[in-house]
Amino acid sequence: MEGIAKETWLHRVNPSVKLLLLLGVLIALLFIHNLNVMLLLNIVIIICFCFGTGISRKYALLFFLPFFLLFWSSVLTMALYGKGSTLWWEWGIFRVSEESFFRGVHLGFRALTFGLIGLIFVCTTHPVRLFYSLMQQLHFPPKFAYSFMASIRLLPIIWDEFHTIRMAHQVRGFSPGKGWKGFKRKLSAYAVPLLAQSIRRAYRIAVAMEAKRFKGNQKRTYYYQLSIGKWDLLFLLFLLGITGVVWVGSEWIQLLPNQDVRLI
Amino acid sequence: MYDHSMIKGGYGVHKLRLKFPGDESLLFRDCDFQYQKGEKILFLGPSGCGKSTLLQVLAGLIPHAIDVPMKAQQVVVPESTAVVFQDPDTQFCMTHVDEEIAFVLENLQIPREEMPDQIKKYVSVVGLDLEDVHTSIHTLSGGMKQRLAIASAMALQPEVLFLDEPTAFLDTDGTKQVWETIRQLPDDQTLLIVEHKIEEMMDVVDRIVLFRPDGTILADGKKEEVLANYQEQLREYGIWYPGIWEERLIYRSNDSVTSQADSPLLALRDFQVLHSGDVKLQVSHADLYQGEWIAVIGKNGAGKSTLLQGIRQLLKTKGKLLYQGSPIARADLQKIGFVFQNPELQFVASTVGDEVAYTIRQALKDPTEEEIHQMVQERLEMFSLWEHRHKHPYQLSVGQKRRLSVCATIHENHQILLLDEPTFGLDAQNTFSLLNWLEELRQSGTTIVMVTHSEEIARYYADRIWWIGKGHLQKVSSNGVSGKELEDGGNCERDVASSSKP
Repeated sequence: MEGIAKETWLHRVNPSVKLLLLLGVLIALLFIHNLNVMLLLNIVIIICFCFGTGISRKYALLFFLPFFLLFWSSVLTMALYGKGSTLWWEWGIFRVSEESFFRGVHLGFRALTFGLIGLIFVCTTHPVRLFYSLMQQLHFPPKFAYSFMASIRLLPIIWDEFHTIRMAHQVRGFSPGKGWKGFKRKLSAYAVPLLAQSIRRAYRIAVAMEAKRFKGNQKRTYYYQLSIGKWDLLFLLFLLGITGVVWVGSEWIQLLPNQDVRLI
Repeated sequence: MYDHSMIKGGYGVHKLRLKFPGDESLLFRDCDFQYQKGEKILFLGPSGCGKSTLLQVLAGLIPHAIDVPMKAQQVVVPESTAVVFQDPDTQFCMTHVDEEIAFVLENLQIPREEMPDQIKKYVSVVGLDLEDVHTSIHTLSGGMKQRLAIASAMALQPEVLFLDEPTAFLDTDGTKQVWETIRQLPDDQTLLIVEHKIEEMMDVVDRIVLFRPDGTILADGKKEEVLANYQEQLREYGIWYPGIWEERLIYRSNDSVTSQADSPLLALRDFQVLHSGDVKLQVSHADLYQGEWIAVIGKNGAGKSTLLQGIRQLLKTKGKLLYQGSPIARADLQKIGFVFQNPELQFVASTVGDEVAYTIRQALKDPTEEEIHQMVQERLEMFSLWEHRHKHPYQLSVGQKRRLSVCATIHENHQILLLDEPTFGLDAQNTFSLLNWLEELRQSGTTIVMVTHSEEIARYYADRIWWIGKGHLQKVSSNGVSGKELEDGGNCERDVASSSKP
C-alpha cells in the first residue's frame, strides 16, 4: 500500500496484534443482531476508515465502491425475497415485508462493516511487516512467509505479461470463437503461457533463495524487529472505546428500531 | 572418505555422471574437473553443452537445491559458496535493496544491530550508489540489479563466487557495469564464471575451460593458450569473442531496395503514444520507406517498445500516422507484423507446425489443406525448424523459439515487420542466423523496424537509426552519417530523416 496511504498511528500497531484483534471484532459482529447498534457501529467504522487510515480520498472512494455495491446487493436480495408476515409491497415474485426489509438492512450493514474492517487492515499494514511480525510474534514458519513475500514481486510481472499476451493475440488475429469451446480455448491461451512463465520464475527464485543459504527451518535473525508496545495497548483501548461508545450511544440515538432483528 | 581421494587440496568433481530426467543420454560421463583457491576460471562452450549444469554441481546446488540425479566418485564443494544467476528478475525474494541483502544476513544469523552497517558496506563494495538503501528493486536497471545480486552474493562471504552468465540479459552498459564490479572485488576472490560474451571480461579470468557440444572438456588451460589455439571452436560454438562482428558480417548488397523518390510507406506526424491517459512517447516527424532497416535505440524505459506498439495501434495514439499517404486503416494494420520480445507469450498453437499454419490461415482466403501444408514446410525449412514441427513450441531451445516467433509472424502481405529486441539473450550463432533471415526478408522488400540494445546491429545492419530518449524521438541518423539532433521538432531535418543508405 506504499504511496497510497499516509502513515497514521494504525500503521504502528503490531500487524499480528492488529490481525488478531480485528478477527475478534469480526467474530463479535456475527453476534450483533440489534439493528440500531449495527448502524452506529457502521458509522464509527466509516469514520475510522476515512480519517484513521491516512488514505487519500480518491483511493478511499475507489476501494469503498465494491463494498457499497455489496451493501446494496445484500439489502436487496434479503429484502425482496425474505419471508415475513407484515407485508408492505408485493409484485410478482417480489415480496417486501417489514421483517425482510429490516433483516436485509441488517445484513447489508454487516457485510459493509466486514468489508471496511478488512480494508482498514489492508490499508494500514505493510505486507513485509505483516509477515515479519507473523514470524516473530506468532511463529509462522519462515518457509511460507518468505514465499509469500517473494510472490509479491511476481504479481506486477504477471500483469504485464497478461497485457503482452492480449496484444500478441490482437496482432495475430487470434479469435477463440464463441461459446463454451471458445471460452476454453481462450482460457488456455492465457493460462498456459502465464503459468509456464510463473512456474519457471518461481522455481528460479526458489533456487536463488537456497543458494543464499535459506533453509526454511533454520534459526534466523530479523532485519525488521517487531515487538508489542504502547501502540498495541492503545489499539486495544481504542477498540474497547468504540464498543463502549456504540453500546451507550445506541440507548440515546435511535435511528432504526432498537431491537433484535430476529424478533421483529 | 577413506579411498584415495583424487582431489587434493582444492575443489572439484571426480568421475561425475549426470543425466536429466527424460533425456536419452548422459550429459556427463565420468567428467573430471578440479580447481584451487584463488583461481579465476571461465567456462566456455556452445549452448546446451552442460557448462551451467557443471557449475551448479560445483556450487552444490545439484543435487540439493535442484533435483537432478547425479553420481560421482568424489565431489568437493567449498564450505561457503555464492551464485549470481543470469536473470536479474528471478533471483531476489524481497522488494527493496536493503531487505534483499538483509535476507542473506538473516540467513547467516547476523545480529540485527550490525545489519545496517553491513548492508551499506556490501552496497558500496559493488559500487551501487544509492541515496537511500531502501530503494525498490523494481526501479533499478538490469545492470544495477546484477550489481545487487553480486552484493548479496558477497554478503555470504563465499570462498568461491559462481557467476552463471551474469550478463546474458543485459545491454552493453549493464555488461560493463557487471565486470567493473567484479574487478573491484578482492584479488584473492576465487571466481568461476560461465559466459557467452567474452569481449568485456577477458582480463577478469586467467584460466579457460572449453567444452564440446557433448559436454566433454576440449581444452583446459591458460586463457592466452586456449584463445590462441581454439579460435575455430569459439566461432563454431557461438561465443561472442572480440572482433566477431567484423568477421561475421555478411556484406550487404548495396543496391538499395529503397528509392528516395518514393513517397514514404509510413509517415509519423506529431505522433503521440498514450498509456493509461499519459503521453508516453512523442514523435514530431519521421518517415519509413519500403525495404529499409531501422534500428530503434535508447535506454531502458525510454519508450522504444511503446513506439512499436503505437505504430501497430496496440496502444492509443494521437496525431497522424499515414500509411502510403492516407491515415492508417484497419486493413493496413494487417500489413504490419509484430514480433514480441518473449516468444512464448505470442504462441497460440500447440505444435510448431500449427503455429505457422495458423498465420497462413489468417493471411490467405480459404487456402486448401494442401497449400497450407506446402507453405508450412517451405517456411519451417527456411528457418531450419522443419524437423521440430511436431514439438510443442515450449519444447524448443531459446534460439529456436525466437526463430519460430519470427517465422510464425511473417506472411506475404507484410510490408513492415516490427521486432522488439529479437536477439536479446541469444548466443552469437543464433543471433547471426536470425539477422541473416531478417536481411533476406528486407531484400525482398519488407521494411524492418527493430528495437535493439546492440550498437553493432545498429551499425552493421541498419540503414538508419532512431534514437529514443525520455519519451521523444531525439535523433535520426543515417548509417555512416552522424545524426543531427531533432531540436526544433525535427521539421527542418527532413533531409536527414528521409535520406537513405550511404
